Amino acid sequence: MKYEMVAGLETHVELATNTKIFCGCTTQFGGEPNTHCCPICIGLPGTLPKLNEQVVNYAIRAGLATNCEIPEISKMDRKNYCYPDLPKAYQISQYDKPLCLNGYVQLSNGRKIRLTRIHIEEDAGKLIHNHGDTYVDYNRGGVPLIEIVSEPDIRSAEEAKEYVEKLQLIMKYIGVSDCRMQEGSMRCDVNISVRPQGSEELGTRTEIKNMNSITFMAKAMEYEFSRQVDIIENGGKVEQQTLRYDEATDTTSSMRGKEDANDYRYFRDPDLVTICVPREKVERIRAELPELPDQKLERYINELEIPENDAKLLVKYRRVAEFFEKASAGTKAPRTAANFIIGQIFSILENDGAKEEFDIKVSAENLNALIKLIDDGKIKMNLAKKTLAKMLETGKAPSELIDESDMGGLDEGALDELCRQAVSSNPNAVADYKSGKTKAIKALVGFVMKNSRGKADASAAEQRLIDIIG
Amino acid sequence: MVTHEDILQIARLAKLSVPEEELDALTKDMGEIIEFANTINNASDDGEEFDNINNLSNVLRADEVVPSLKSEEILKNAGDSENDHFLVKKRVL
Repeated sequence: MKYEMVAGLETHVELATNTKIFCGCTTQFGGEPNTHCCPICIGLPGTLPKLNEQVVNYAIRAGLATNCEIPEISKMDRKNYCYPDLPKAYQISQYDKPLCLNGYVQLSNGRKIRLTRIHIEEDAGKLIHNHGDTYVDYNRGGVPLIEIVSEPDIRSAEEAKEYVEKLQLIMKYIGVSDCRMQEGSMRCDVNISVRPQGSEELGTRTEIKNMNSITFMAKAMEYEFSRQVDIIENGGKVEQQTLRYDEATDTTSSMRGKEDANDYRYFRDPDLVTICVPREKVERIRAELPELPDQKLERYINELEIPENDAKLLVKYRRVAEFFEKASAGTKAPRTAANFIIGQIFSILENDGAKEEFDIKVSAENLNALIKLIDDGKIKMNLAKKTLAKMLETGKAPSELIDESDMGGLDEGALDELCRQAVSSNPNAVADYKSGKTKAIKALVGFVMKNSRGKADASAAEQRLIDIIG
Repeated sequence: MVTHEDILQIARLAKLSVPEEELDALTKDMGEIIEFANTINNASDDGEEFDNINNLSNVLRADEVVPSLKSEEILKNAGDSENDHFLVKKRVL
């Protein structure tokens, strides 16, 4: 029998506010233990939490960017569980009246992954276990999170990966989070079950907790899918439980049974008053939303005529997209800027992280100026590439690097002269070419380019050289 | 109807141990507490709707950093501490 995966994700995203959700302590990552704390976030008796307005604004922004409805009334609840990462023995979260409801994220295969809700809550502290002792640092306690809950609409690890990547990119574009999974500012819990293909029923699900890498999440889902299929094929029953994924062995193992822990005894937090969201506020936040990644991609492909794969590479990093738009503004073909970025600039950025940071010496304005020189026929592509290489090293403007005398092309006489020089000074290359090693012509073209200081047109030079050697 | 099992379940969630001989009394007390809370259901509810006694909403603060306390201050009430951390016995959720 064929089985299909049925998965839903709970994605926690740390919000990029300056302060915690209920007090003025900083949200900065790291810091000496217990130095970003105050009586409110360590839950001392008699303290009164007060909600950070920016948390509400960011959560609404996240909701609108993922097609959610924003109800007029929302409130905070206490989720009770007793564990040292929570100083109060409850987490302030939202239960039945979250800030955002009924959204969706659309995948590239056209499927919509429905979002049940997005709610706000406080993060827990960090525990370090050592020989039966637990060391507790509450710096992270009270840092604002949104939890994005999807419906069980995901059918493969691939879809889960794309879903999380999309969420990550959207959150970065709208500026509510940096979504650094390795620093824990984005983490996922995966609910997963299997069923015979074509069936509409839901099987018993397990939950894999705290995935902080997209690659490992996908692996864990694949492992868990085949584990569940094996159990069913052998006549067994999948047990509802919470699992932990072990990256080293690529297996899941049980953390705890589900039924007891499920009793969180939610009730309204009496210290926090109702959140009313006026419609004008929703519309104001909607109007302030920037162009989202999917809209950008469509515009790049359809209006700017960037090939789809290139457009995807530009949109993948918010800073790159911003740079590209400035660099291509007012140029003849936006594709030229795209080619420089993806070809030449990306080649000096080693990895994903470097592209994300996009910390380069060239300003978008200077690349724009360079492209305009090409557009106006003042320099050839070859010289432009060399100039860009120098710009990447020095940060200088094209006007500082290109001599007036280098501007303009090479006239035919000068090209002919240089080609003849190339032939007479490189007898070996000429002989190689004549004996059938056609690649040898490149050495001669190189000579011409070098001696024309990049002004010659490479393909014209090659043609001329072939004619001369004849 | 509150049962012994309910009491044991609540005790487990609250990390309390309940001696066998107190079970009957606690079950009876809990039943009475819930019964008392039920009186609220008999109150008339045809008045104006409000969801908290002060009728307040949107008590919010600006996102501005206020200095935190020193870790010595934070750890002052800790039962045990080491290397600027609270120190507790390891436990499983």
